[in-house]
Amino acid sequence: MKKTILAAFIGASALSLQAQTYDFPVSLPDYQGEATSSVAYGGQIARHALHNSLKKASKSGDLALMEGYFSSKQAGLEILDPVSKKGFPIKQSHIDELATGKDLMSSAYPGIITGWPGNLTGQEVLQQMVTNAAKTKGGYDPVNGYDYTQLISKFAMGAVFYNKAVNDYLDEKLAADVKPNDKPYREGAPYTGKEHVWDEAFGYFGAPANSLALTPQEVLQIVKQNPEYLAEADANQDGVVDLTTEMAFAHAYYAASIDASGNTDYFHTIVQAFVDGRKLIQNAQGKALSITQREALKGYAKVIADAWQQVIAEAAFKYAGSVYQDLEKLAIIEEANGDVKKTYRNYVKHWGELKGFALSLQAAGRDLGAAQPQLNRLIGFSPVLFGDAQVVAANGEGGFIQSGSIAMQEYKLNMIKVQNLLSEKFALNAKLNDKTGGMDDVLKLLQSAPSVEND
Amino acid sequence: MMEEYSAWLLNELSLAARDLVNPTKRVSLLYFASALFFAFVLFTLRDRKRAWRRILPLFRLATWWSPSARVDYGLWLGNRLLFSLLFPKAITTLGVVTWLMFRLQEVGMSAFPVVIPDWGVVSLFSVCYFLLDDFTRFWVHWLMHRWPWLWAFHRVHHSATQLTPFTVLRTHPVEGVLFYLRSLVVQASLVSVFIVLFPGQVSLLTVGGVFVTTYCFNLLGANLRHSPVALSYGKQLERWLISPAQHQLHHSVDVAHYDCNFGVVLALWDRLFGCLQFASDQQKLHYGSASKLDQMGVFGHYWSPIAYLAKRGKQWLKSPAVWWSSRVKKNAKSEPKGSNISL
Repeated sequence: MKKTILAAFIGASALSLQAQTYDFPVSLPDYQGEATSSVAYGGQIARHALHNSLKKASKSGDLALMEGYFSSKQAGLEILDPVSKKGFPIKQSHIDELATGKDLMSSAYPGIITGWPGNLTGQEVLQQMVTNAAKTKGGYDPVNGYDYTQLISKFAMGAVFYNKAVNDYLDEKLAADVKPNDKPYREGAPYTGKEHVWDEAFGYFGAPANSLALTPQEVLQIVKQNPEYLAEADANQDGVVDLTTEMAFAHAYYAASIDASGNTDYFHTIVQAFVDGRKLIQNAQGKALSITQREALKGYAKVIADAWQQVIAEAAFKYAGSVYQDLEKLAIIEEANGDVKKTYRNYVKHWGELKGFALSLQAAGRDLGAAQPQLNRLIGFSPVLFGDAQVVAANGEGGFIQSGSIAMQEYKLNMIKVQNLLSEKFALNAKLNDKTGGMDDVLKLLQSAPSVEND
Repeated sequence: MMEEYSAWLLNELSLAARDLVNPTKRVSLLYFASALFFAFVLFTLRDRKRAWRRILPLFRLATWWSPSARVDYGLWLGNRLLFSLLFPKAITTLGVVTWLMFRLQEVGMSAFPVVIPDWGVVSLFSVCYFLLDDFTRFWVHWLMHRWPWLWAFHRVHHSATQLTPFTVLRTHPVEGVLFYLRSLVVQASLVSVFIVLFPGQVSLLTVGGVFVTTYCFNLLGANLRHSPVALSYGKQLERWLISPAQHQLHHSVDVAHYDCNFGVVLALWDRLFGCLQFASDQQKLHYGSASKLDQMGVFGHYWSPIAYLAKRGKQWLKSPAVWWSSRVKKNAKSEPKGSNISL
């Protein structure tokens, strides 16, 4: 009797684990092919590999190499990151092994990015950054205060992955008449329209298929390719890490990173909503979704989009704190007549990360209201440079125009305001590297709004 | 255009209605019920069977729908609409705290050198905030009875001839702005200093998200301050805490009660300023400002302080020296409240 109960318990647990993994069987009743899984997001993982490789290439000064990963769609591209390391072998070594004919440029946000000089679209901003990076040494422009490696990487994550997922797949493509669930995505495909739309959004988030069985700390170690965590990464135990299902990328990494340091649960919240939404589609068994089902699906999509936005805002919050710290260090070194080179380099790097994430928030068609111009004005088009100057505009040849600005140390005040703004607008919880001292929370407790209560 | 206006109006009115279930607002039904319970228990202990009779006036329609009470409601809703337009443009406390914190750090203020546990910082901040907030409320209130131009606005609150829990919201919007500025100065100065000294540790002792002293104050009868129920705490306790009956003395139209009991929670400030009076459960009072304002409607309450200021301003422009000397003479006579203002 005891054995029976134990076996039933183990069986139920295994089933539950199976249901929590992002893997679902074919539901189309008329499907005639040999595929058993209806999940496919190879194109999205190919773009993650393109992004990681572009980040590596951005330090090379080789425009052709960068363009290869950014916009060429060419065959035979080698994956520059992640690559096999001793004790942590990667299954794929070429982009084509994930998907063919993919690029980053054509999927980037086509709307205007007001936070970058020149009135450019998201696609044009990325193209300009790539072109400019090739003119620098190691992707670093100390004159204008740009770290192109960081700018390209952080902004591409938003303009491509976040934009495509929340602005397209989890929004427009959830409409009843777009990619319906009672038809294959395309003729002969083993997945329905809605199944594939949902899977593509999941692919853009960049989480491993077995994420719900992993802790945020384990996800970080997998991205760092720590050999001690190979067993956690290699879910199917075939001895290699499959980039499609067993690696974390982009914002999934940042969500796990924030959760590992802060008291938050962004990573699992997002993945759980993806899994629950996919289960809902699966349960329709290849039939069109009812209004109620689509509303429920939109509910999951909202959970994902909101938490994803918070992850990006949390990252921007953290780097605003880093910029503040760098400015403090710069003041101390300057006062002691020391060498500011290394600290200035870090300042530019952290500003690039802050700016990339801040621009990302604006690159997915989500209305930020008054927060958007406030954020752009506080951060500016560049960090405040020595001589208290800042980039204020672009010239007609892709260069930048500088003008006098606030004092470098006054810029610290802007960073506190940026943190307050992000915290208030996006209801942040982790708030890593907080330089506000927690004033926002205290004032909320004090109910600092006007009141006409008399004495 | 009309649709947007209607939507805004409906939204604001529904927000006003929500104040009745919001524990951060004194007019919350929770506090109203708890105040009644508290009063009933005390009256039962003091007066046995007559306890019900004591709190009965609060349930009379004549109390809640008197002309005076209707002005309370009109000002409450009118101010709600006015402040919804004004607040987005107002200076935010967050902005001031940010600026002050930064300036304090720039002049060399830094984190406290000795590590104090979180509970210690939270307790210290809560005590400091309570004392500073309560004193400044007393002081601003005291000033409102001393300076004629401030009294012109504060008299709107004192023109209530029937006290109901909604009289707490019977406030001229200019006075509301002054309250906000007081609160902004207190919160911004205290929070910025504490945030610099104890970054990331500052918080407030709360019950259900409400500051613990505000919660206790509201729970234990704050709503009875503006009500026909006279609840005294007894002479011993009234030396330390302002009872509802003491606040009713403050509203009394009797000259003997003029300019007393300005405090909100603590009676200490009134003692220090020599204006504390003790109250009694048996007191029979008449309320109002003893002026034409007592009979005016909502519009009159909005307009009359402004008309008064305009009249005084005109006089001042005509002859500043004459105006100043007359003002000094009037102050020297120390006339009772409101008598130097004509409508």
